[in-house]
Amino acid sequence: MDKLVAQYSRPSHQNEFYSEQEQQDLSESTPPLSLKFNLPPVDNSSAFLRAMTDDHSNPSCPIKLAHGTTTLSFRFQGGIIVCTDSRATAGNWIASQTVKKVIPVSRLSRGEDKPTNEPTPGLLGTMAGGAADCQYWLRYLSQQCTLHEIRHKRRITVAAASKILANLTYAYKGYGLSMGTMLAGMTPQEGPALYYIDSDGTRLPGNLFCVGSGQTFAYGVLDAEYRYDLTEREALDLGRRAILAAMHRDAYSGGFINLYHVKEEGWVHHGFDDMNPIFWKTKLDHGEFSNVTSEL
Amino acid sequence: MNHFPEAWGRPRDDVYGAYNHSYLQTSGPKTHTMSPAVTGTSVVGIKFNGGVALATDNLASYGSLARFTDVKRLRVFGNQAVVGFGGDVSDMQYIDRLLESIDIRENYSTHGNMLNAKNLHTYLAKVFYKRRSEFNPLWNHVLVAGFDGEGKPFLSSADLLGTTFSAPHLATGFGAHLAVPILRRLFPDEKPIEEVTREQAVSALKDCLKVLFYRDARSLDKYSIAVITQEGIDLKEDEQLESQSWAFAERIKGYGAQTN
Amino acid sequence: MTSLMDHPSRGETIGYSFSQPTAAPVKEHSFYPYTDNGGSTLGITGSDFAILAGDTRSTSGYNINSRMVPKVFKIGGDDETGEGAHILLSVVGFAADGNALKERLDTVVKMYKYQHGKSMSVGACAQRLSTILYQKRFFPYYVHAILAGLDEEGKGALYSYDPVGSYEREQCRAAGAASSLIMPFLDNQVNFKNQYIPGSGEGHALEPKKAEPLPQETVKQLVRDAFTSAVERHIEVGDHLQVMIITKDGVEEVYHPLKKD
Repeated sequence: MDKLVAQYSRPSHQNEFYSEQEQQDLSESTPPLSLKFNLPPVDNSSAFLRAMTDDHSNPSCPIKLAHGTTTLSFRFQGGIIVCTDSRATAGNWIASQTVKKVIPVSRLSRGEDKPTNEPTPGLLGTMAGGAADCQYWLRYLSQQCTLHEIRHKRRITVAAASKILANLTYAYKGYGLSMGTMLAGMTPQEGPALYYIDSDGTRLPGNLFCVGSGQTFAYGVLDAEYRYDLTEREALDLGRRAILAAMHRDAYSGGFINLYHVKEEGWVHHGFDDMNPIFWKTKLDHGEFSNVTSEL
Repeated sequence: MNHFPEAWGRPRDDVYGAYNHSYLQTSGPKTHTMSPAVTGTSVVGIKFNGGVALATDNLASYGSLARFTDVKRLRVFGNQAVVGFGGDVSDMQYIDRLLESIDIRENYSTHGNMLNAKNLHTYLAKVFYKRRSEFNPLWNHVLVAGFDGEGKPFLSSADLLGTTFSAPHLATGFGAHLAVPILRRLFPDEKPIEEVTREQAVSALKDCLKVLFYRDARSLDKYSIAVITQEGIDLKEDEQLESQSWAFAERIKGYGAQTN
Repeated sequence: MTSLMDHPSRGETIGYSFSQPTAAPVKEHSFYPYTDNGGSTLGITGSDFAILAGDTRSTSGYNINSRMVPKVFKIGGDDETGEGAHILLSVVGFAADGNALKERLDTVVKMYKYQHGKSMSVGACAQRLSTILYQKRFFPYYVHAILAGLDEEGKGALYSYDPVGSYEREQCRAAGAASSLIMPFLDNQVNFKNQYIPGSGEGHALEPKKAEPLPQETVKQLVRDAFTSAVERHIEVGDHLQVMIITKDGVEEVYHPLKKD
């Protein structure tokens, strides 16, 4: 009642500025743990968002977000191979050729991974669809995994981690998120485990996934050569070759080949290499890609 | 999923419905005028040596109708700042009340009202930005004139989106097209404001208002002008444009009944 | 992805609406909350410095609002002038959003210093900026931000962002209206893309030139060249070039004239 009286006994323009709470939210030096998102104050906020950001339906939309990808990962007897390209596009513009689309989901070494042969414990997530969505939510997942580790004194399983992510994407279904991610990891409980999660809320365990605009090209190579009993060398080469095929045929994929191997002790990075010399080496030394002439 | 790789990961019509262009204003006629009803046109301002001058005409239009012909669109705040309003008049009156309440509140403080034009502009810009973020904009484009914290002349603009910018001379609305070129010719960038006298500034503003009256169909020959100096504010609200010459009008061809 | 596999296409042969606004429904919204104020920004790093630059033109449509609206800001300084700042931010796009973002990050960095008794590292600030942008994922800040500073090892650090907060550390980045003009130039001159070592081989054996950090003077000249060229070919870029250079000695700010047509 007091509130009601206050509302009408004071002129409305006295409420014109930011409230105490809003001002506090604006100045917090650490982000809030609870998920607070500003929604546009219109009736249909996802339609508004789409109108502003969907450069596929409307190439002249004002806000262009980074998109487009080929990512793959598969299980084999020696663990899991994770391989991606590195291109991000905003409309027809190549926004970046050096995107790190494999994101370590663990408390350790979340920043830039240094080239080392020592395996780093933790999960790997891949990034396809909206770059910001994947980065943010995998970062959020990292936080949750760390909290799990502190609460339960043991590492989270891949099944549990993927479920956290899938629950989240399902909760935000229809808001306009865009992500297709794979979680790969090895835990004592599960062995090598691989899950696919997307922004529709889908969560699937599996042996082999390709995600992104170049997925079909990667599947083509992968399905032809894949066996569970590949050697480590063969598996790494196959991952690299499948991404190379997608980079060659999909305009929205390209740049560098980012290759990871998940083992029992953790993941190992096998390079972030320019596709161009690898392409020519594949062609000239192995006689593949005969659709391209080798003349310069 | 279809076979168009570029469509991967994009919002699908079966989930979100068809792409709705109505949120964008790039296609079709501008509908800016849908919301504001009674509007004021240009505000013109210029800095000179030791102060700032600001002018508007006294018209409030209702669409194409010249509805109210003595609406004062310059508002004095404290004793060293003036706000010139373009755009919706009801929103102008709302901001006027808002500024009044701030002035009263500030005057209760031990020092009196210490807000200078720069502070006022910062505040107004934030109010505009907050309102646009709520999709409930105050439909105005204002110029704030006065002095900054160091006592230097200050002139800056804020609009309904919260966009701000400042320059030695500014104009809103139609004035951005017609008055700014005149002012840029009279007072080019190389000429520092220290070399512009008060008389030059005032006469330039009158010239601008005259040209605006010639060509802006929503303008009037009655105007207000404020000159802000360290000595105080000289506000004249019932001025009349003088020495008009409509000789150019007979050379205009191609409109209305006159076809050649 | 399976859920995407078998959805029936709607009416049309494909289930996506393409660019023709043929059947656009009757408008109910008359308020469009964004505008583009034009301009361009550019950042390049070296081994012990980072440079962030931007032109100072502010436009709306074909109008030039003002010729002096800086786009590069000092973040977390001690006073109004930004003295003592060790992080730089440039924003280009919708200027009001840019300002709101700048002030928010500035407040956050200041609060951090107040609460923790030490300055925020550039890496931490970069990640915080990402979360700030992502908080408005559904009503984005219409800005392309670039953050610059020195990392823990004293090396130049540059982070670039998309409007909703995906970010990446890079050697160089151009953003804004003329980014498509400047970025290819930078690829070639900073990262030596498509440059080869003469005489290193024939045909496919020709070795590409390796990228290495450039000296400060070279980078300064590159920045000026990039902008003078962009001004020639883009209407929204011009007037003045604002350049901020951050080194271990602090931030140096200089303005250069650009063409004003």
